[in-house]
Amino acid sequence: MCLQIVNNPLQLDCLERSPSSPAASSGSVSLGVFYGTRKEPPPPFRLSFPFRCLQRVDALAEMSVKAFELVPAVERDLLMGDKARINIECIECCGKHLYVGTNDCFIHHFLLDEVTSSKGKLSYSPQKLLHKYLGLKKPVAELRAASALERLIVLCDGIVFLVDMVTLETVPSAAGGGAKIRGVTSFCINENPVNGDPFCVEMGVLSSKRRTVQIFMVYEDRVQLVKEVTTPEQPCAVSLDGYFLCLALATQYMILNYNTGASQDLFPYNSDERRPIVKTIGREEFLLAAPGGLGMFANAEGVSQRAPVNWSESVIGAAVCFPYVVALDESFITIHSMLDQQLKQTLSFRDGHILQDFEGKVILASTKGVYVLVPLPLERQIQDLLASHRVEEALILTEGAQRNIPKDKFQILHKRILQQAGFIQFGQLQLVEAREHFRKGQLDVRELISLYPLLLPSSSSFTRCHPPLHEFADLNHLAQGDQEKVLRCKRFLISYLGEVRSTEVANGCREDVDTALLKLYAEQDHDSLLDLVASDNACLMADSVPWLEKYHKYFALGLLYHYNGQDSAALQLWIRVVDGDLQDSTRSDLYEYIVDFLCSCSNQDLVWKYADWALLKNPTLGIHIFTKRPVCKDHPQLNSDDVITYLGKHSQALLLYLEHLVLERKIQKEKFHTHLAVLYLERVLSLLSQSPTDEQQLSSARDRLQSLLRESNLYRAQSLLGKMENCEQLLLERATLHGKLEEHDKALHILVHKLRDFPSAEAFCIWASSCRDSAYQQQLFHMLLGVYLDSTSHPGKSRTSAEGGSGDLEMAAVDLLNRHGEVFDAARVLRMLPEGWSMQLLRPFLGRAVRASMHACRTSQIAVGLAHSENLQLLHDRLKERKKPIFVSEKKGCHLCHNTFSEPDVVCLPGGVPVHTHCVAQRGSGTAGLPTRIHNNSNNTDAIFPLTAQPAAAAESRAEQRARLLKQQRTASSSISQLVVTGRKPLLAPQSPMVQCV
Amino acid sequence: MPEGSKMKKPDVKVVLLGDMNVGKTSLLHRYTERKFKDTVSTVGGAFFLKQWGPYNISIWDTAGREQFHGLGSMYCRGASAVILTYDVTNWQSLAELEERFLSLTDTANQDCIYAIVGNKADLTDPKAQLSHDSIGVSEDQTQCEEEMTEPQILSACPTPPASPESLSGLILHKQVAHEDAVAFYGRILRYKGLEDKSSLPPEKMCFETSAKTGYNVDALFETLFDLVLPSILRKRNENQESPTVDLEVCRGAGGRRARSTCC
Ligand SMILES: Nc1nc2c(ncn2[C@@H]2O[C@H](COP(=O)(O)OP(=O)(O)OP(=O)(O)O)[C@@H](O)[C@H]2O)c(=O)[nH]1
Ligand SMILES: [Mg+2]
Repeated sequence: MCLQIVNNPLQLDCLERSPSSPAASSGSVSLGVFYGTRKEPPPPFRLSFPFRCLQRVDALAEMSVKAFELVPAVERDLLMGDKARINIECIECCGKHLYVGTNDCFIHHFLLDEVTSSKGKLSYSPQKLLHKYLGLKKPVAELRAASALERLIVLCDGIVFLVDMVTLETVPSAAGGGAKIRGVTSFCINENPVNGDPFCVEMGVLSSKRRTVQIFMVYEDRVQLVKEVTTPEQPCAVSLDGYFLCLALATQYMILNYNTGASQDLFPYNSDERRPIVKTIGREEFLLAAPGGLGMFANAEGVSQRAPVNWSESVIGAAVCFPYVVALDESFITIHSMLDQQLKQTLSFRDGHILQDFEGKVILASTKGVYVLVPLPLERQIQDLLASHRVEEALILTEGAQRNIPKDKFQILHKRILQQAGFIQFGQLQLVEAREHFRKGQLDVRELISLYPLLLPSSSSFTRCHPPLHEFADLNHLAQGDQEKVLRCKRFLISYLGEVRSTEVANGCREDVDTALLKLYAEQDHDSLLDLVASDNACLMADSVPWLEKYHKYFALGLLYHYNGQDSAALQLWIRVVDGDLQDSTRSDLYEYIVDFLCSCSNQDLVWKYADWALLKNPTLGIHIFTKRPVCKDHPQLNSDDVITYLGKHSQALLLYLEHLVLERKIQKEKFHTHLAVLYLERVLSLLSQSPTDEQQLSSARDRLQSLLRESNLYRAQSLLGKMENCEQLLLERATLHGKLEEHDKALHILVHKLRDFPSAEAFCIWASSCRDSAYQQQLFHMLLGVYLDSTSHPGKSRTSAEGGSGDLEMAAVDLLNRHGEVFDAARVLRMLPEGWSMQLLRPFLGRAVRASMHACRTSQIAVGLAHSENLQLLHDRLKERKKPIFVSEKKGCHLCHNTFSEPDVVCLPGGVPVHTHCVAQRGSGTAGLPTRIHNNSNNTDAIFPLTAQPAAAAESRAEQRARLLKQQRTASSSISQLVVTGRKPLLAPQSPMVQCV
Repeated sequence: MPEGSKMKKPDVKVVLLGDMNVGKTSLLHRYTERKFKDTVSTVGGAFFLKQWGPYNISIWDTAGREQFHGLGSMYCRGASAVILTYDVTNWQSLAELEERFLSLTDTANQDCIYAIVGNKADLTDPKAQLSHDSIGVSEDQTQCEEEMTEPQILSACPTPPASPESLSGLILHKQVAHEDAVAFYGRILRYKGLEDKSSLPPEKMCFETSAKTGYNVDALFETLFDLVLPSILRKRNENQESPTVDLEVCRGAGGRRARSTCC
């Protein structure tokens, strides 16, 4: 029940789809098996036509490639004249020799000469050499040449026999064996025999009765059976390649290895219904007629490696003429590409019944005439495809032909086709594909550039290649006035040139490429213009300059000048832009750019020439030319004195430059310092002289002056002082200068009396003594105190308001003492102070003084105590060292000189051996590690301590201890200055750092 | 122009089998061109080369018509994967797979992988009706919408009015349940004598797809490619291991001969 139901839809479906089926199965044009054609089947094929002819005509119009031309070779009158009965049965062609077998048992021998007309059209002029009757009254069924043997192998009346190629005489059997095979239905020649004997031909033979294939060797005068293989069914067509027999049996095709007997079924085929076709088309690959009018490919393994081609049901013969499969049916020759399985060409051919390929030459025969299917030159086919814009097909055809063309030739061809394909796609604005093909085809980019008017430099030697790669005159022609298209093409060229300019494609035409790119960038206002002109490039000046000017790309032009070493031109141009003579908004900070440029410019002449302009424009930025010059070896430095001279007229810049030298680079030259100080001073003076003084400016100007005066030690203070001698507004500066000149009294006088600026006076004391010792500082402070007190004690001297003034000074003195008590010598101060001052007033000072003095005293006492105890310790140690007394008498001799002792002073050697002091001195003079003699205050014998090896660490800790002590003593030393510590470390024994109180 | 036109040597072969009109060509179109478009009944066969990582996979689209049935064995010879396709609205198309097409796969590789694919799921399964193609969605949607207006008329054709399921309303056309396909997959394994081994589970190998909407199509092909990769690698290794084969390969077609002579 189920089956019934489901059968229906199938049938329905068949009906539904039937309109398209005839077209599909007719093997005609409409259905390339390949998807390429199926994507958009051209309109005529969607409809189905009742008449195939009509369809074909449409097909021709739609998709033909002219791959072949049918050229008559031998026409009727040469063969049979008007004898209507006589038909061609078989043909064989061997070089120029054409053999034709007829149904009246004749063999005709022709010589075919190719004639090429002046227009390049090919034709054949046949010349009949001979014809011969074979005497069997039966049609000549098959003819094959064995040219190495000079024999024709003939099948006639079921008999295979040999005929001389020249005389056409039947070869008589040799003594050793027969030259005839009987009962033969069909035979084939192995073009690719495994046995390599050149003087025999391997032949596969099918016989009428037995289910076998026989392999024969054909020699000059005999044939020899070498192998016989049985087949499952009666074979009716055979082809042989290597060991492989490809057979058409009654119901299927199969592959049979006659060497091993292995077989491989291919696919079923009813040989009774349709004549099978078995063709060897290459190494172990066969072309077979398959059901449904297919041309199937199969290899010896039984695998199909190419998609089938779609013939008609009634195909009679087929052959491969790479890359095409040519097939013949009753009325047409169809040509499919093996590369994409598409039908490429259809030729009308009536009464055709033979189609065979001989050494690559495809020959056809109708019953009455012989024709050659001449392939058009590959290039022409490709060009035809390209002419109809069938880019992909053209490329497939080209690439498919690779193995048939010598490598170098192929490469040239391939490149050219790729380039042409690229241009076609370019014309269609398929720019991605175009780029790919240009790249792969290594297009000379100038071909592309030359499409764009005016881009190639006028000096370029380029001429377009001939024949031309495309049909376009120029971009305007291509775009037909569509500005959008033009723009897209320009952008394309920009990106393409950008990509290739650094590759080898641009070799030899870098000028052209870079100049074109520059022009495009300028015209399109492209950001990369600056990168191009600023970096390594080959832009031609002659073309680039006017072009950049035209598009107002002056900044870029300047960069290009610079790249070409014409800095002066660049600067002139840029200056005109900054000055507004020329318009280019590329850089709003062009002025700064110029400054930077001059700053790093190694050509000093240029710097001197253009700095003036820059300084006039903006001294603060302009001075960077001099102040920001990079410091490195190969960059010539400018002489500072030259710069200063140069800057003479640019006062502001000069000041900045001097500041740079003095303050930043800290150059220690009196000249610069004085100059700067003078400039500062002048500035201050000029500000002072203005009627409403700008206080803010003035104070900043004074700050600068003051800080220079304070910090620098190099300027000529005297001369500066001279310049402001009578300027009452610059008292502080004057005080500073006096300070520099060590005229502290004058300075303090100004500060205290004229300025009444007590904090400054105090600060002055600290500043003026900052690098000096404490005594100096003390002296200064005392001086200040003196100044304060002086005027108090002599109130008459004070010019200013007596009553308030002296009080001020007193308070200043008190403050000074209270603030800086530690600096003063308290005893001296007490002596200086007026009697009447209250203790209360000076309490902080006095308190601190007493405490400090107390502290010092106690610290010193501690130090003394410590020193004493250490000394005691050492004495103790010493005693231990010399437990035994050492006796010295007049009778005892010195161990060194052997004289007796006359004085109590001796030196003790290790072991308590007494020797003369002078002897030791003599012996050890100049030697380190000498025993040291230490005098005691006592009259007793001097003691000397031998040096012994000592642990460094112990010595070190001792040394540290001593250092600490020493420090403590130092702090306390003001009052205990008598304490002296000796301790020459290397000379001391472990327990003997000596502290000696003198 | 499809990649298939370039003469690269494929590393592995995948074959689409199934009755005519089940949508083999449409499936391959959908996968390779991301489109659903008019097809004509395939003549003979065709193949497409797919670049899968470093490998070339040839996918053969065969003709389902009875007339070309005999070629099937040849197409399957040496195949690493076979996609057995039926039409979910057509029970017979599944039956045909078992009756006619399974035996064609005898020539496939020993370790060949089988996938059962029920196409035209959009006609029966609402979730297969949405556009599933990530690429070119907009383009496809318009196309789909155009066609969506028609299916009532169109889809009536493949299924006879007498279909038992037609009474149940919404899933008007579904004739083949997923379980039927799973059962068939089990029979394939039995037929191949693979059932005991740790063969691939039916859940993984039975698909329902729609070439029209793209439903499950990428999943189908990509699952298969991932599964055949080991087969590719093994093939490569074999070629590397045997020095004699290497020499033959250098001479061109010789490699094939060397193998066929020894068996
Ligand atoms: N609704 C729907 N229709 C589909 C689907 N796939 C294919 N079709 C339709 O089914 C018909 C057959 O599709 P094809 O892809 O040519 O079928 P095929 O299996 O290649 O057929 P043969 O080449 O003859 O073996 C066409 O009309 C398609 O539009 C699908 O997923 N959903
Ligand atoms: Mg199909």
